[in-house]
Amino acid sequence: MRIPFISMFITSPFDGLQEHAEKVKECAWVFQRAIECIIEDRCEDFEHFRKDIDKLESEADAIKRRIRGHLPKGTLLAVDKFELFRYLSEQDKVLDVVEEGLDWLSFRAAAGIPQALEKDFMIFVEAVMNPIEALSKMVPEARKYFSNFSDDQRVVVKDMIRTLRQYEHEADKLEDAVKEKIFNTIDDAVTVFHLIRLTEIIGSIADHAENAGDMMRAMIAK
Amino acid sequence: MGSEYYVLIIGYIFGFYMAWNIGANDVANSMASAVGAKAITIRQAVFIAGILNIVGAVFIGSHVTKTIRKGIVSTDILADPHLTLIGALAALLAAALWVSFATWKSLPVSTTHSIVGAMIGFGIMAGGFSVINWGKLAAVVLSWVISPVLAMVIAFLMFKMIVKFILSKEDPFAQALKLAPYFISSALFVVILSFLFKTPLGKRLAIGTPLALIVALVLALALGFLAVKILRKFIKITNLSGEEEVFRKIQIGTSCYVALAQGANDVANAIGPLAVIYFLVKTGSVGAKVPVPIFLLFFGGIGIACGIGMAGHRVMDTIGKKITTLTNTRGFSVDFAAATTVMVASKMGLPVSTTHAAVGGVMGVGLARGLEAVNFRIIFKIILYWVLTVPAAAITSMVIFKILQLFL
Repeated sequence: MRIPFISMFITSPFDGLQEHAEKVKECAWVFQRAIECIIEDRCEDFEHFRKDIDKLESEADAIKRRIRGHLPKGTLLAVDKFELFRYLSEQDKVLDVVEEGLDWLSFRAAAGIPQALEKDFMIFVEAVMNPIEALSKMVPEARKYFSNFSDDQRVVVKDMIRTLRQYEHEADKLEDAVKEKIFNTIDDAVTVFHLIRLTEIIGSIADHAENAGDMMRAMIAK
Repeated sequence: MGSEYYVLIIGYIFGFYMAWNIGANDVANSMASAVGAKAITIRQAVFIAGILNIVGAVFIGSHVTKTIRKGIVSTDILADPHLTLIGALAALLAAALWVSFATWKSLPVSTTHSIVGAMIGFGIMAGGFSVINWGKLAAVVLSWVISPVLAMVIAFLMFKMIVKFILSKEDPFAQALKLAPYFISSALFVVILSFLFKTPLGKRLAIGTPLALIVALVLALALGFLAVKILRKFIKITNLSGEEEVFRKIQIGTSCYVALAQGANDVANAIGPLAVIYFLVKTGSVGAKVPVPIFLLFFGGIGIACGIGMAGHRVMDTIGKKITTLTNTRGFSVDFAAATTVMVASKMGLPVSTTHAAVGGVMGVGLARGLEAVNFRIIFKIILYWVLTVPAAAITSMVIFKILQLFL
């Protein structure tokens, strides 16, 4: 039954945003397991992980399209519509980069990651997981702020964004350390190229998470 | 004489049908924000709306009704009792049919505007275009703009104030309790003023505008502080935050007021023409005004309550499920804006509808960024139906008039 009073209220984009953030987190976990699998040498499941990521990515894509497609012109939101889209697009890029990372690894799956660098990569990937988890925790907290407009809640969200930035900074430092070690331990140019590029891709996961945090900061600005 | 009693019986049937439709169509407007914000349950909403509509109709509803609602058609056409009888019947049925159609199709129409349109149709058939009071018609058109815009502005300001003085403070709950008297008082101020200005009860007291303002202010402040004393005793911290809980309690009051005002205002839409028929049959002639017997008001109130009872549950159920982002602070802003707009606009003599005011209120809170997502453009669609209502009811009324003329 359509009631005019009700037809004014449309589905909140925050539902989708939260769902999308959860997908990103799930994707990051799969990515971490895939990297661990590669490092454990006898990795038979690698293709399986790639398929999982593909599936998650297309599901997240559907959520993204649903959010964008269900905000007709003239929709009043608690936040600026274009800031919201920028945020969503950054959050989505996290996923794209995760997918790209696995693709890049698969091109040279047999060679995998050299033993000397295994531990460094494990730590690096672990560090990149932190900002993503922070992202999925930030969305509900931000939503709470838009509902109660409490200054305390605003501080909570701001603190989370600050933490996110710190995580990114730590991941950055690790990225530099890994790159340095690659150049100093590997002599084969092809392997160096493959690993450097992989490092950069993994590093940009954290960058995009940080960008999303910055957009959130803009959304909660008074 | 015999045939005229048949007409009276038909009049009762049409009148009840119209009242039923008012209940079914308008129930969403008064209770939507309260149910959406979970201030009251569906069962409570249906019960409160039903009872208060009857109470509003009987005790506050106009005991003297203008024969032609809002004076839109010249009273010259009332000279011929036979034509008037047919006209009143036609107008009643036409308005009821249009509102029925709107309820069925879920269109946001105003019952007041439907009866105004139907009266215009009757006027044109009985006396030609010259009997239409175009100035009054302009007031109707003006109300399409004024009531939603005014409600929008009030709701916007009210919500911004709640954010600034309560929500963004360090201890919003304490702040809400501290400021609650003022919020309750301002709501009560509107309530008391509208009772003084709009109801026959208030008119009998015959207080001038400045005195009425002072009386309302003092009374509102006193009652506001008293209400908060009671509120503090009853407030329970549930899973809601404290400040929302405070507004939840206040909102129960404001939605009751909207229901009461609705019964008082809208009952005349069904009972006005019925009163005309009743008087024509009983006395043989009518003037510009007719007294409305209490039992007719009661009859209309019961009709509205029946409409609410039949359709209310389904409407409320949908509202409760669909509107999940409306919290009590927002719901209060919407209710307050709607009630104030109805009060101010009818003081200005504009035919307002609660539908228009409620829609404007939601838009205002949306503009204040208080809602996660509101579709602003729907307002254009809504306006289209407001504009359509008057001619649609008028044409229906003209057709029915012609048909009735064949038989009576």
